[in-house]
Amino acid sequence: MSPSDLLQLSITEISPRIKNKEISPVELTEAALSAAGKLQPQLNSFITILDQQAMAQARIAESKIMNGEYLGPLHGIPIGIKDNIETQGIRTTVGSKVLGKHIPTNDAHVVTLCKNAGAVILGKENLEEFAAGVTSNNLHYGAVHNPWNLDHIPGGSSGGGGANVAARITFASLGTDLGGSVRLPGTFCGVVGLKQTFGRVSQRGLMVTSYNGDHIGPMTRSVSDSALMLQILAGHDPLDPSTVPVPVPNYSENLNQGLRGLKIGIPTNYYFDLINPEVESAVRDSVTALEELGAEIIEVSLPSMKYAAAMRITGMADGIVAHEPYIKNQRDDYGPSVLYRALAGQFVLGRDYSKSMKVQRIIKEEHALVFQDIDLLATPTAPIPAPRIDDDKFALDGDEYPVRGPGSGMISRNTSPTNSTGLPAISIPCGLTSNGLPIGLQLIGRPFEEQLIFQAAKAYETVSPSLNSAPPVTSN
Amino acid sequence: MSISKETLKAMIKQYDCLDISDSELELVLPEIENYLIAANSMADLDLSEVFSGRLYRPQEGDINEPI
Repeated sequence: MSPSDLLQLSITEISPRIKNKEISPVELTEAALSAAGKLQPQLNSFITILDQQAMAQARIAESKIMNGEYLGPLHGIPIGIKDNIETQGIRTTVGSKVLGKHIPTNDAHVVTLCKNAGAVILGKENLEEFAAGVTSNNLHYGAVHNPWNLDHIPGGSSGGGGANVAARITFASLGTDLGGSVRLPGTFCGVVGLKQTFGRVSQRGLMVTSYNGDHIGPMTRSVSDSALMLQILAGHDPLDPSTVPVPVPNYSENLNQGLRGLKIGIPTNYYFDLINPEVESAVRDSVTALEELGAEIIEVSLPSMKYAAAMRITGMADGIVAHEPYIKNQRDDYGPSVLYRALAGQFVLGRDYSKSMKVQRIIKEEHALVFQDIDLLATPTAPIPAPRIDDDKFALDGDEYPVRGPGSGMISRNTSPTNSTGLPAISIPCGLTSNGLPIGLQLIGRPFEEQLIFQAAKAYETVSPSLNSAPPVTSN
Repeated sequence: MSISKETLKAMIKQYDCLDISDSELELVLPEIENYLIAANSMADLDLSEVFSGRLYRPQEGDINEPI
């Protein structure tokens, strides 16, 4: 097997071979770094490629394996880290000019967990400025390009990670999701994106965020790999009060149990109300596939979702609090898209903030009620496929919506509600549009029931039209 | 539902907000419009008896069960 062939495998496929000393972490990392360097001019998916550090980590990983100290399935696996997650001694820009020279003194908790598991950190991945948007078209570090079509966005804000996983550069990438920023690159790049239950994974070391509804989550090439990644990331962090000391189950245990006996809810309102016809068709086909696999499909109504947009009000107010010190000191270093969205937050009334939190409660309770009759909800991840990088607006159902900046938010309308409710959700590839752009199916579950989400997602993955598909631009 | 630039400028002055020039206000307005639409959507809701949203918390003294 050639070095580039190795990069086409999943973590689940390659880790036993690393454990058995058939594949060298050093050779694997060399191949990944070579791919990263080769594709960077096309994808612009990294802000910093860590050639020397990655090779040093790979040598240590290899040495441990040779000494019989195998650390688990992430041992010797090259991964990427979004550049808003702190890495000790390594520049962490948050995609901004404001923090263009910021070098953290500590690793984020999740980075420590990945390092302890033997992962090799290939680089810091490009993103939307301050992770505040869905395009990953970064004013300061350039636009990330989608490996399925270089003229299109990869989604965001974790676009570099989505592009790298899809293009077979990294085996997994850690992104962050405050409104869909892991799941949208998941759907637009045709990979698996997970936003687990709020409180399941530590946010400590995540930079310039409201923390209220933000999640660090993995992007991977398969559901099995997503389960492996969550196994490493999940758990109570005593130094992050937002994490919850709920026991962490074995996420890979029930992966092959199939769908028989599971009840999957299809919303009759909101999620399919504004949707591109090709996206709707692919998602409806995937629902049919879920039924054929043995799931019972039940239509469900979520009437309170008509207030879903109101849940974003808290995020507006939280956003200006996160940005205020930076805007005060370095306003000229901001791009307009982030600056003018953030500034709007200072006009949010306290009354509306409180109402927004109460609407959040209503929608949580409504979901809790619906989840008494079903096990999972199935929805489209995004209402449209990836727009072009040079698109300022897109049309849907006769209206035009901005892709980014003030007034945007339509692309994340199906993902952002679970950031407020805290419910776990995954995006799985479910086909391509007629012009070859990926489409994603979103499965939403009950709190802390990621195991069930993985079980259903894995069953669907085996029949998905996206199975074994790869973009035109890859490391191979 | 809309809000005038004059009102926004008065708020900036009275509440010691970060300054926004006239031309910048034009760029901020679409986000404020989204906010006002969202806020207005709650106008028919009586929220007086509703709990606030909150995070999932373990029961005190029991780390095994989320509420």
